[in-house]
Amino acid sequence: MRAAFHRRVRAALADPGLQAALDRNAERRTRARLAALATLPDAPGVRRQAAAIRHATLEHIDQHVDALQRRLAENGWQVHEAATAEAACAQAVAICRAHGASLVVKSKSMVTEEIGLNPALERAGLRVVETDLGEYVVQLRGEPPAHIISPIVHLTRQDVGALFHERLGIPYTDEVAVLNAAARRSLRPAFLEAQVGISGANLAVAETGSIVLVTNEGNGRLVTAAPPVHIAFIGIERVVPTLADLPPLLQLLPRSATGQILTSYVSLIQGPRAPGDADGPVERHAILVDNGRRAMAASRLSESLACIRCGACLNVCPVFREIGGHAYASAYPGPIGSVVSPGLFGLASHGHLAKASSLCGACREVCPADIDLPSMLLRLRDESVRKVPQPWWWRWGMRTFAQVAGGPRPFGTALRILGWVTPLLPTRSGWTSWLPGPLGGWSRWRHFPRFHRRPFRDRLRGLNLAARAVDPTPLVERTTRPLPRAVEDVDLIGRFQRELEAVGGEVVRTPASQMPAALGRLLESTGCSQVLLAWPEGKHLPDRASLEAALRGLATAKILHAGHTREACTTLEQAEGSVGLTPAVAALADSGTIVIESGAHGALATSLLPATHLAILDARDLYPTFADWAARGGRSLLLERSSVALVTGPSRTADIEMTLTIGVHGPRRLIVLVSEAQGSDPFRSGR
Amino acid sequence: MAPPAIQLLVTCLIDGLFPEVGESVVEVLAKAGVEVAFPPAQTCCGQPAFNAGYWDEARRMARNTIEVFEASPDPVVIPSGSCAHMVRHGYLELFADEPAWLSRARRLAERTSELTEYLVDRLGRTRFGAASSARVAYHPSCHLLRGLGVDRQPLALLEQVRGLDMLRLEPECCGFGGVFSIEQADLSGAMLERKLAAIEAANVTAVTGCDVSCLMQIEGGLRKRGSRVRCQHLAQLLAGREPGLR
Repeated sequence: MRAAFHRRVRAALADPGLQAALDRNAERRTRARLAALATLPDAPGVRRQAAAIRHATLEHIDQHVDALQRRLAENGWQVHEAATAEAACAQAVAICRAHGASLVVKSKSMVTEEIGLNPALERAGLRVVETDLGEYVVQLRGEPPAHIISPIVHLTRQDVGALFHERLGIPYTDEVAVLNAAARRSLRPAFLEAQVGISGANLAVAETGSIVLVTNEGNGRLVTAAPPVHIAFIGIERVVPTLADLPPLLQLLPRSATGQILTSYVSLIQGPRAPGDADGPVERHAILVDNGRRAMAASRLSESLACIRCGACLNVCPVFREIGGHAYASAYPGPIGSVVSPGLFGLASHGHLAKASSLCGACREVCPADIDLPSMLLRLRDESVRKVPQPWWWRWGMRTFAQVAGGPRPFGTALRILGWVTPLLPTRSGWTSWLPGPLGGWSRWRHFPRFHRRPFRDRLRGLNLAARAVDPTPLVERTTRPLPRAVEDVDLIGRFQRELEAVGGEVVRTPASQMPAALGRLLESTGCSQVLLAWPEGKHLPDRASLEAALRGLATAKILHAGHTREACTTLEQAEGSVGLTPAVAALADSGTIVIESGAHGALATSLLPATHLAILDARDLYPTFADWAARGGRSLLLERSSVALVTGPSRTADIEMTLTIGVHGPRRLIVLVSEAQGSDPFRSGR
Repeated sequence: MAPPAIQLLVTCLIDGLFPEVGESVVEVLAKAGVEVAFPPAQTCCGQPAFNAGYWDEARRMARNTIEVFEASPDPVVIPSGSCAHMVRHGYLELFADEPAWLSRARRLAERTSELTEYLVDRLGRTRFGAASSARVAYHPSCHLLRGLGVDRQPLALLEQVRGLDMLRLEPECCGFGGVFSIEQADLSGAMLERKLAAIEAANVTAVTGCDVSCLMQIEGGLRKRGSRVRCQHLAQLLAGREPGLR
């Protein structure tokens, strides 16, 4: 195992293609995170909160998993427990078979990589299509993802261009936008034809029985909404007790992972399609995967289960920087992978990964869950030495070292002997240029200083150790810069607009009285050929009748109701000329996010399949933050709705060389029409 | 008032490989009016064995270190970020299941400081009358920076060196990592190459820092390349020595 790892490391270091890919995105991977964290008024405080939630939950993991399971079942999920990888795969195969499925679409999920789901499904005769752009590329290449967030961090745009030319038959190009479009075109039919959609879960809320999915491209929303059956794989450690625990984690996960304030989409899925709902799967299955997690929770590595898989530790790791992900030969590479891989898969097969670290601590510094990764790596090294055979020279060397350094006399003598012996080795300008045997690795890269014939301990008499008073010039320097404070944000609409525009969304403000006219103008300006209307009866402003009246005035576009969205947007050409019109039932100012709910009006598909999504927001439904919303309207909405999507800008991907492209599986344009009733700023009216 | 007195844990690398660095450390402490004691029964803090996973061996050395420095109540000063980190944090991990040793380790940890931390935070001194016209890169070593949170202290000391043109290198690991440098020599070497490229781009004549282990890795690499740039421990710079660990 160890020798194979060394071979992979050497191969990675010598691979010019890999090195070029790693070079191209190394800086981007770390810079975006810092910029995103700087937008939090008190990032260290949020991290303390997030870490406290994760670690406290793990201490009573069984209790919280039980609560989650109960609540999911009450919400209509079919809940399965899987003790092992094999059991988890078998359950998925059984569900697919029960529905006579032949095609399965998947959104990105590391736990399914961990358990080897794709090969298991394929052995059962199913066609599996990965729909995350990066995952799609590695699937076409027949290799595992190289990073837990950025699967193709090891590839350049030229690699992807060559692959698509060969496998999708498109002319060779290295233009990222064209490559993204090609993948989108090839994947579109799969979403609409698949019988089963499979996702993971970033988090799961026990209190509300919600699966939380944090995504960007829109494929996660499609996989969990379009096929009639959805299976969510949930690593049991992802449970959080309450909805109130979610905000700090959601504040840190996208910032740490991709340097976003919030990802384009956060799906909160409570259950299958409710009676009367226009869309969503009729069956949802939750497979709760243990696969070694409970055992780990009871071990010296328990802390590492707090991981929320943001990948920040991979991005800052100087070892990952050199070799990428595949050299680790585990579903989980990088620092966290070097801990959880031995923890989950065993010391004998993966224990050597704990040595793939200089213990520089960069991983710990960036971890949003404050996992002491260097200590975990050290504990694993201790376990390995006690339980796994080690090279004889290390064992002998360490034993000898401990004997010599166990007391002063042998130690001083040993230093003096080395001082006489090491000069016999080949030397260049005073330093040793060649070391023998296992030490040869050192001298391959550097010279080694010679031991001194007179070690420090022999010089004490010559040193003037007595006190010497000199000029007392005390230092008064300690500068403690105050943390930047959040600006009290009274202008919620302005803040919302700034944040949404910053991520590529558009905001149009209109007085409520002129809403219909403004909507008409806006739709005309899009030049669309069809408007797909997903609008519920009652409750929302404007009411449906006056909205329809406004739409009838449109000269060019055909008006269709949400029930037709799928047929109307089956091809990308159709989607291109379409606008999906839905209400935004709430919005979050600090991230520029709108909230879309499932229901009879069919907003799930209508907000996703057309190339343009136009949402109408009543300014009174604007909340300062996710936490404010969750504490007030949000909780009851989640309890009412089988699915809720938080949408922050158009769909996007940065999978290829971290180059941002707008418009993948979801809309390319997101326009929010904000309807303001006169003199009713929501913040001041104290709602 | 009696002058402050400390016990010097000089570290095994300085003891055997770089005794001149130890002399500079003593000189700097003496300049600050500190009475320095060197308990001669000290050996190695045990970090190499601890990092390699040989914790039984590491405990032997840790027990020796605790016993040696328990003999006096004076503060312990270590001219190395990683060895100070070992005594302050590593020992607590090593003796997590041995309550008696754990409490002894805790008491030692409480009065242990890294050299620059001691000079700046405990003594409140940054001026040692040193002068230099060199352009020097400061390497923030990992255990010092992230493990102990010591960064401002060495920088404050360097700022007071008259005429010194100083820049701080990016806080990226030099690739040393103890046995990592031998067991994962290629990885360590690749990380070192990146560090050396940064040093060459910085166009300096010397690299300074608070860990001779990292500086040994860096100077060893520089020498292998045939570079003329040399390393020196911060204490050597404060003591007015020429660049070069030895």
